[in-house]
Amino acid sequence: MPAAKHRMGVVDFYVGSWIADDRGGVRRVLAADVEVEWNLDAPVDDEELVQTLHRIAVFADTVEVVSRAPAPDGVALVYDMVAPFGTARMAEFLTVAHGRITEVRQVYDLVAVDRFFPGLYDQ
Amino acid sequence: MPPREVHLVGGTPWEAMLLAPVAVALRDAGLLEPVLVICGRRLAATRRVLAAFGLSPDVRVPPPAPVSVDADPRGVMMQRLDALWATRTPAAVIVPGRALAGEAAPTGLAAALAAHWRRVPVVQLDAGERRADLADTLADDADRRLAAQVTTIHLTATPNAAMNLLDERVPAGDVLVTGSTAVDAAVAVAGRRLRYETSAVATARSGPARPLMLVVARHPQTRGAALEGVLTAVRALVQRRTDMEVVMLRPPGPAAREHAGRLLGDLDRVTVLTALSHADLCRLVSEASLLVSDVGDLVPLAPSFGVPVLSLRWSDDLPEALHAGCARLVPCETAQIVAHADDLLDSPVRRDAMTAGGNPYGDGLAGRRAAQASAALLGLAAPPEPMPSPGTVPFGATA
Repeated sequence: MPAAKHRMGVVDFYVGSWIADDRGGVRRVLAADVEVEWNLDAPVDDEELVQTLHRIAVFADTVEVVSRAPAPDGVALVYDMVAPFGTARMAEFLTVAHGRITEVRQVYDLVAVDRFFPGLYDQ
Repeated sequence: MPPREVHLVGGTPWEAMLLAPVAVALRDAGLLEPVLVICGRRLAATRRVLAAFGLSPDVRVPPPAPVSVDADPRGVMMQRLDALWATRTPAAVIVPGRALAGEAAPTGLAAALAAHWRRVPVVQLDAGERRADLADTLADDADRRLAAQVTTIHLTATPNAAMNLLDERVPAGDVLVTGSTAVDAAVAVAGRRLRYETSAVATARSGPARPLMLVVARHPQTRGAALEGVLTAVRALVQRRTDMEVVMLRPPGPAAREHAGRLLGDLDRVTVLTALSHADLCRLVSEASLLVSDVGDLVPLAPSFGVPVLSLRWSDDLPEALHAGCARLVPCETAQIVAHADDLLDSPVRRDAMTAGGNPYGDGLAGRRAAQASAALLGLAAPPEPMPSPGTVPFGATA
């Protein structure tokens, strides 16, 4: 399988897993030493990432990837996370190496998250 | 060692105009190398805008085809910008906030995210602009708020815009009120008094000097009765004021053409057009006695030339102008437009009073402040002082 296709397969698996609230699937594809950073006002590690994605997945009516930009070592994604009272947008930058995601950087629209996903990161 | 590159990214001719004063100021300061990255479709018009400043596009990043399988223009643009910056990584990226809405929406957010992806600091011009319509605010401003989260320095046109950012928990130290570079650009272009590019305007303005009323009726909702109200008002004013001249931008399309032809076609001192170049528009605003407009883009420019504005429609640009007294909000109704126009055209004192407090959108030095802020971000200069409150210093008096 070409490297780019394999990389996109990893990304698709990760995205499909977290949107479907498959925490085991997300954990499987994250590298053991994955680096995670986000702009939420809370500390983050791989387990906190998994739990936050879980909370989004169960609270949102739908989560849709609205933009996708592949790069040689990863991908940038923009999601629309549709909650009962409104939509929050999130950008995510993933780095993939050796079949695992080695870096996750998330940028949330904090105003919309606070309004439409209350308590997302202060539980 | 040559100066490090700063990439200024724009999609439309209007954005190129917003970026041009910053590029000129960066070039003049010599601390950083400005590189204009143009992503829009209207390259010829963009070139014309930049040429007025002695600039030209340095890098062309082609946008996705308008009708194609590219259903994700933002993703395509992000990918193309990332490819550019993988091999030619700038020290900083400058994006106009205007590029985060409307025609160029994919460009602005794509540029901000692509830069953030490469950990390149993002400087946003005209930052903090948000929809004034609360009902639409959250949906329409999603891209702007997301871009704000990856912006390193937020340069705002007005204190209101700065407050919007503070309300979104952007640290105060990352926000600077610089004024809008649109004001710098308009003043620079109008001041050169270049020959009119549009022949109809050149002909109309070649005669004896007459008071000019510039009418811009281009908003998509200015149709039918609203357009009729504006056209009838123009007709009444021109017939009553035998020395006044009108240049009007009408909506495109056969219905609007027929409408304008029927109501204004027999009048000598009225020039009706569907488009004007940025240079022509700036010069016309500078020479007008009154601007009547249903779009917000021109509202920030007029006060710099002492031109009061009758705004026919609410726009996001309007609150500061209303607050400062530079503009009046008037419905698209003939009687109202005629009454307010008469009130101002009859009295130079009233006109001057509306703009005596200065321009709340800028003092003509925003480009210089943006260039200095970019240099300060990279440790090459001290941070600039914010724009003083309008009315406290003469226009263009301080750095």
